[in-house]
Amino acid sequence: MSTHAHAQPGESGHAAGRAEPQTAEEITRRRFMANATITIGGVIGLVLAIPIVGSLIPDVGAGGATWTPLDAAGWKELQSATDKAVKIDFNLRTKDAYLPMQSVPESVWGIKVKDVAKFKAARTDLFTPAGKDELPYEIVTMGFVLFSPICPHLGCRYNYDSDSNKFLCPCHGSQFDELGAHIAGPAARGLDPLPLREQSGGAQVEWIRYKATIPDRIVVSYSS
Amino acid sequence: MLNWIERRTGFISQAKEFLEEDIPGGASYWYVFGSATLFAMMLQIVTGIFLTFFYSPSASTAWESTRDMYVHPFQHFVLSVHYWGASAMIALLFLHMLQAIVWGAYKSPREVQWIVGVLLLLVTMVLGLTGYLLPWDMDAYFASQVAINLTLQMPVIGAFIQQFAQDGTTMGTLTINRFFGLHVWLMPAALVGLVGAHLAIFRWNGPAGPPVEDPRPLKVGRFWPDQMFMDAVASLFVFLIIIALAAFAPPFLDAKADPSNSTFIPYPAWYFLDLFGLLQIIPGDYEIIGAIIIPGVATALILLLPWIDRSTTRMVGSRKPIMWLVAGSLAVMWWLTIWSQMSIVQKQAGAPPSAPEAQILAAQEQTNISESGAGGTAPSTNANAGGGSAAAAAQAGQTVYQQNCSSCHGASGSGTPGVFPPLAGNPFVTGNASDVIKLVLNGKAGPLTVNGHSYNGQMPPWKSLSNKDIADVVTYIRTTLGTNHASPVTEADVAKLKK
Repeated sequence: MSTHAHAQPGESGHAAGRAEPQTAEEITRRRFMANATITIGGVIGLVLAIPIVGSLIPDVGAGGATWTPLDAAGWKELQSATDKAVKIDFNLRTKDAYLPMQSVPESVWGIKVKDVAKFKAARTDLFTPAGKDELPYEIVTMGFVLFSPICPHLGCRYNYDSDSNKFLCPCHGSQFDELGAHIAGPAARGLDPLPLREQSGGAQVEWIRYKATIPDRIVVSYSS
Repeated sequence: MLNWIERRTGFISQAKEFLEEDIPGGASYWYVFGSATLFAMMLQIVTGIFLTFFYSPSASTAWESTRDMYVHPFQHFVLSVHYWGASAMIALLFLHMLQAIVWGAYKSPREVQWIVGVLLLLVTMVLGLTGYLLPWDMDAYFASQVAINLTLQMPVIGAFIQQFAQDGTTMGTLTINRFFGLHVWLMPAALVGLVGAHLAIFRWNGPAGPPVEDPRPLKVGRFWPDQMFMDAVASLFVFLIIIALAAFAPPFLDAKADPSNSTFIPYPAWYFLDLFGLLQIIPGDYEIIGAIIIPGVATALILLLPWIDRSTTRMVGSRKPIMWLVAGSLAVMWWLTIWSQMSIVQKQAGAPPSAPEAQILAAQEQTNISESGAGGTAPSTNANAGGGSAAAAAQAGQTVYQQNCSSCHGASGSGTPGVFPPLAGNPFVTGNASDVIKLVLNGKAGPLTVNGHSYNGQMPPWKSLSNKDIADVVTYIRTTLGTNHASPVTEADVAKLKK
């Protein structure tokens, strides 16, 4: 037996005309409907959740690096520099998601390494105890090292103070000496060297981004 | 009429029921903080909805669409109200929370209401963080980069969270879109749901009332209209402050995000300055303490406050350890905030200042004007061309070309297939000289076809080059590059078009 009554206007609550279940069959039937309703909701939620969560997972294909020519004047300045770091500009070809391919201004810091042994001793984070490169490319090329301009702490752009011959990051105060070794502040490693090569009279760099904050160098991308 | 509606909807009696609430001890201006926070939230929702009418989330439009709001006075005002409304909402939330702590209002049976309130604080801070990125100016970019990379400090899941937040390995268009979705849909939805729960629980338990030993003798006041009136007065007061700030101290829009800028000093929103300070104070090897452990433990302590504070009464006098803990934490937060602010101001004083906003906004206006005026006035290039100087200009232009153009267009002007068009043998380059100058000045994006091949790249505007460099390089590509033999251009031609 089931009665179905609408609450009359002005009547508060809706329970007045509702009958309590009387038989075991009725109780089972109601419990089934309650559970089925919850199950239907769960199924809908789950079916929706799979594509939504899937859509949110980022596409992190790192691709590969390409050689990009450095600004000729900056390269010349580095070659003639004595013991100061030189900022060398270049235009990086990059593609940001679905936007058209762009050419964006970028830069690297170059230093002249006169004493490779001294550099290796200062940058133990880059070389094995036997003096082999820790990275899969030559770190000192033609007596030069190029550093990524991105602070290995949290990704700010550090600057060079030519008076103290140090690299200083304005964000959280990380400091690196003239060879890029970490000397103060929160960064967990020294500056990141980038591959350098000479090609038809000019210099070229490979743009690589390494993961921030950690002591190890893990490639996160080869673009932008 | 009202009766007719009431009989068919019950709205009148339901509204009455909602507004009828007993206020222990009577209505008071001490109770306005929650309502004022709610008011600030509604203000944020209303202004935020209309900002989406003008904002466009992508790396090539986020800053541009924001800049456009700045040059439309009404849009700019709505944006400024949203900017100050965010600060007001967080400040009022802190006050509301502080009062609940001092009055012990989180005590049984209101523990869940307290927890929902703390979740509201967290959601509001995420809203502040995600909204900070959207203008995509210098500070938006770098401050957000720092915040995103900080998640790397989280053990195990850090790397995933970081890539999830920026939707990929680097910050860009997808990051803007993701923050937009978080800021405009997900977080506000969570906020509204939590506020609903907060109010429903509030109605279930009733107001906590003042902290007294025995609440029974307190006279009972009315929520409507007595308390509601005071809430309205407080909301008006908050509103007046917000619109005064919006009118007289609108937010600053810096130049468009430039990841290669190494002199910019980023700074966080004021409510994150204390966390920012922690990062600077704690030595690098222990960074996880400042980045994850202290904020995490503090959040846990706040959430668990109803169970940490074991006193049986809500009286301040019998809860001294908790009061000292709160006062001490507040003192540290204040000190970190002020110290961080001073350190940022000091660093900024030593760095090259940002350009004045008027210049940032106007520089872009010029581009728009010169683009829309294309084809209007063609300078008489041939008349200005002197024979000997053109060869010298072409030689100087070759250097400019190698430094700035050859990486995309190739040393011999052959271009990059599918992306960057060739310049040698390109009829556009040897065509109308002023069109070539304009393209160099303003850049170009989107698909184009040269000699039957299509290209789809993006050329940045080269206004940063001097007029002479531009004249030299255009002369070089027109007269000397490949087999091109068109007329040279002069500095004066460039100057004319730059205006």
